[in-house]
Amino acid sequence: MTLERKMLRRSFFGMSAFLKSQEGLLLLILLVVMFILSRMSTQFLTTGNLLALTRLFVEVGLMTLPMTMIIITGGVDLSVGSMFGFTAVMLGAVWQYWGLPLPAAIVVTLGIGTLCGLFNGLLVTRVRLPPLIVTLATLAIYRGLAFGVSQARSVRGWPESFQFLGQGYLGPFPIQFLLWVSAAVAVALFLGRTAYGRYVYAIGNNETAARFSGIPVDRLKLALFAFSGFMASLAGTIFVARVTTTRADAGTGMELDVIAAVVLGGTSISGGSGSIVGTTLGLLIISLLRNGLTLAGIKGDATVIIIGAVLVLAVWLNRLFARQR
Amino acid sequence: MNATNAFAPTGTRRSLLAPLQSQEATLAIFLALLVTGLAVATPAFLEAQNLRDVLVNASFPAIAAIGMTMVIVSAEIDISIGSILAVVAVLTGNLALTGMPIPLVFLIGLLAGTLLGALNGALVAYARIPSIIVTLGALSFWRGLVIYLTQGAWIYNMPEAFHFAQRSWLGVPIPVWMMIVLIALAGLFMRYSPLGRQFYAVGGNRQAAMLAGIPIKRRVFLVFTLNGFFAAIAALIYASRFSVVQSNAGLGFEFQVITAVVVGGTSIMGGTGTIWGSFLGALLLAVIGTGMTFLKVSPYWLQTVQGSLILLAVVLDVVRRRQVLVR
Amino acid sequence: MPEPIIELRNISKAFPGVQALSDVSFDVFPGEVHALVGENGAGKSTLIKIIAGVYQPDAGTIHFDHQPVQIMNPRHAREMGIAAIYQESSLYNELSVAENIFMGRHPRSSRLGTVDWEAMYREAEAVLNRLGIQMDVRAKVGGLSTANRQRVEMAKALSQQAKVLIMDEPTASLTQHDVEALFSAVRFLREHGVGIIYISHRLEEVFKLADRVTVLRDGHLVDTRPVKEATQSQLVSMMVGRTLDTLFPKEETVVGPPILRVRNLRRRGLVNDVSFEVRRGEIVGLAGLVGAGRSELAQVLFGIYPAESGTIEIEGKPVVIREPRQALAMGLAYVPEDRQRQGLILPMTVRDNISLAILETLTRLGFVSDRDEDRIAQAYVERLQIRTPSLQQLAMNLSGGNQQKIVVSKWLASKPRILILDEPTRGIDVGAKAEIHRLMSQLAQQGLGIVMISSELPEILGMSDRILVMRKNTIVGEYLRGQVTQEQIIAAAMGLDQQIMHGANTLERH
Repeated sequence: MTLERKMLRRSFFGMSAFLKSQEGLLLLILLVVMFILSRMSTQFLTTGNLLALTRLFVEVGLMTLPMTMIIITGGVDLSVGSMFGFTAVMLGAVWQYWGLPLPAAIVVTLGIGTLCGLFNGLLVTRVRLPPLIVTLATLAIYRGLAFGVSQARSVRGWPESFQFLGQGYLGPFPIQFLLWVSAAVAVALFLGRTAYGRYVYAIGNNETAARFSGIPVDRLKLALFAFSGFMASLAGTIFVARVTTTRADAGTGMELDVIAAVVLGGTSISGGSGSIVGTTLGLLIISLLRNGLTLAGIKGDATVIIIGAVLVLAVWLNRLFARQR
Repeated sequence: MNATNAFAPTGTRRSLLAPLQSQEATLAIFLALLVTGLAVATPAFLEAQNLRDVLVNASFPAIAAIGMTMVIVSAEIDISIGSILAVVAVLTGNLALTGMPIPLVFLIGLLAGTLLGALNGALVAYARIPSIIVTLGALSFWRGLVIYLTQGAWIYNMPEAFHFAQRSWLGVPIPVWMMIVLIALAGLFMRYSPLGRQFYAVGGNRQAAMLAGIPIKRRVFLVFTLNGFFAAIAALIYASRFSVVQSNAGLGFEFQVITAVVVGGTSIMGGTGTIWGSFLGALLLAVIGTGMTFLKVSPYWLQTVQGSLILLAVVLDVVRRRQVLVR
Repeated sequence: MPEPIIELRNISKAFPGVQALSDVSFDVFPGEVHALVGENGAGKSTLIKIIAGVYQPDAGTIHFDHQPVQIMNPRHAREMGIAAIYQESSLYNELSVAENIFMGRHPRSSRLGTVDWEAMYREAEAVLNRLGIQMDVRAKVGGLSTANRQRVEMAKALSQQAKVLIMDEPTASLTQHDVEALFSAVRFLREHGVGIIYISHRLEEVFKLADRVTVLRDGHLVDTRPVKEATQSQLVSMMVGRTLDTLFPKEETVVGPPILRVRNLRRRGLVNDVSFEVRRGEIVGLAGLVGAGRSELAQVLFGIYPAESGTIEIEGKPVVIREPRQALAMGLAYVPEDRQRQGLILPMTVRDNISLAILETLTRLGFVSDRDEDRIAQAYVERLQIRTPSLQQLAMNLSGGNQQKIVVSKWLASKPRILILDEPTRGIDVGAKAEIHRLMSQLAQQGLGIVMISSELPEILGMSDRILVMRKNTIVGEYLRGQVTQEQIIAAAMGLDQQIMHGANTLERH
């Protein structure tokens, strides 16, 4: 295989120039941010610190995987933060109040998350409501359920074996980091190398033509929303393992981080393009920025400033890039 | 010449949905029933003080709903007004502490809210970024800024003049007067001002509106600016209601307002909706909120109720549109 | 002698791969109804879009109200006084009839400058009454029938004091009663000095309504003459008259047993009790006017809109088709009419477009094999002689003819038993046309059953073994190759009396 064909293969649908410029730019930004942060604090560039950082972004990172695909198809899922919080609460409820053994409780929780996602998907594909409105409403519904079910009480006393999932290491790597890496690789392969992955891009570029070509558009969209729910519940489970408590307000505003990472990574908000590699770079940049702000003394919650600004800027840049093509 | 009766249904199943055609009427009936039901369940509900509380609780969402109605009618959305409210509340609270004349404080607050709305409007109309993205970003940006600047501290000990919302005139709380006046004026505006009618065109069929010569970008910019203005007024009421301004002011406020507007009959697709309907929606939500307290239902279920109402309203809207549309 | 209100001279317009208009001159006088007729693809749509400001001509001049002008965009056209009523709506469904008429120009009460609703309702009723229409001006437009919506559009144009009104197939979905009402309205407008451009396939309307008629064919002006000096058969001849070239080499094939049998297929609004069959090695031509229901039939068969009742049998076995995926699995393929919206994914590459329908078969262990994809795409590029610099070229950069070949390749790759082609050679150059026809012959020889939807009569007559004519969503005629003329087909498609068409056979053709 010639070098040229190898390079061409890595470019999806001939947009090599565009992707290279945005991905390259992202990589550059990432390096710059890392440089600045290492200057701000000598602790920053240690492997210990970096690996500890990865723990934090895994939860967001898991949810960016389905979000990337959903946005590529031209949709969006605003309810991920709420599904995250709701499933975390449900994990506690199922384990403590229903008394199920922990592994079963985890399975049930993942099932609940998937059902939440399915609910979103059905409203979009069967009732034909716009994804924006559906997930805006379910954002409130699931969050409300989280509060309602938990009554703001949290569940503690998680066994060591479970906490390991959120706090343990496999070799030098935090467990959840490895989990995320495998998931990311799997989704990247799916998107880039399988038929259904190609269908995702097709739907985003021209849904009508996709339908006419025999692509099962509705079923695929439904699956993507269900996957989003599943990942939210997986992230929620890891979260509980990490902080050893269930909080009904967990994940509030997380959809912002997820969407910002995806959009910063080059996925167009109007659909049709995007990649897991780009999303990962976006995710890294956002996580580092947040970390950097914390190092600079800005309290955790306030770091959301940067996400808001990045989100708007990223979409704006996307439009500028797109028009140049 | 044969008369063509535009009312004659051409085979659609309109009879079932006919009463729902006027969502405002349905809403008014539902509200009346709800109040009656609550009064029967807990007679304390009808006490004057409680009714006054309900109305005051409804006043600032109702006023914010004015701006939001215009935004949604124009087929846009703004989920940042909670953060705008926070900025204005915290800003005015702090300024009041510095001894600045209160009228000036309020003026600055209104200006601030209007500017934040204008910023949203500029990004949506001129930078052509989708309104959900702009307002999602704005929601976080301003909220984060408020958290940073206040460091979580609450603001209290404002001068007496600041707390206009605690006073009454002729037995009716000032915020309620404001609500009545502003709702009436806004309702008149949307019905009788050519500008107001243009919002319906921009949301109903943007392409046609453009062909008719309506300056779309200017209208979109204006609608977000107005939204900021009304959110600021709501913020002033909110801030002066109690003796403290909390640093998490307005959290989830946009939800409350959007629910009120959507339940009140404004379609999320744009092009239709009334101020009067949004007012009823705001009242309904306030009654539900208070009712839940009276019925000892945990307040934690409130968000679920809001989300479900939005979903229900949207589904009904979509179903209604499909049934009415004739091939 | 009055001057024309709008005058187009020597207008030419080309799109990639096709010359839509060549040196066409056209004018409209105030107070005249000027009908514009021609087959699909003759250039009518392009001409009125130029007048409405949607397109700019490549060459030629336009004069409006004695002034040379350039109509930059639709808004500009409207400001000049040119109004157009299309099939797509420019109405506000949620607003009242009155407000739709007056949006942006609401009548104001003089003292406050506020909207004077009563005055608006009164004036709206007045406008409608002048057109001979009575309607509840307070009703929401969204609930109105198509006929009533059109009336609102006409009232809008009238109240805007349009000087030129374009009506594109206004009677396409109207009942006879509504048509009469429309005519009254049109006559009223004419009496008030509006110049009306009226496009219709229904020639009887042209004779009832129009003062002059212009015939276009293949982008050229054939003739413009007063309606009084024309006959229906003359018009038809002018619309279609061209020699049957040897451009359509349909080779003789042995036609086999039925491969597709459709019985009593129904879907409300789209297909009205259709029954037909296609045999192996046969090309069935499906003729008819725009809106006759041909594409709809194909789409129902293919599962885009599943049938509500009726049976479909493929090679003798009944099948149920609820979505395109199932149709594909049954060996059915549909090359759609709108290649850019329905056939291709323009931002994707040639290779990815070609492999799209069979992608799942090109996988090894779940992963798409680049090698297999390239191989297949390359094979079709060669077989159909698709002119592209590489397989990685974006589909949007290719000419119309090559784009069409890509769509055809995509469906051929699925190795169908039955191939439905919807306007396969519309808007592409002569060379590509011939190639596609040659391909169709080859496919028939290989034993496929082919359904060809076409609005080009020579193509229908040259390529089909059997011809079905559709009208109002059902089949109204069936003819064998060599036993029917173009005029007969058009007559059946239009529902005209066959006797009238008889005269055309004796006229000279160029």
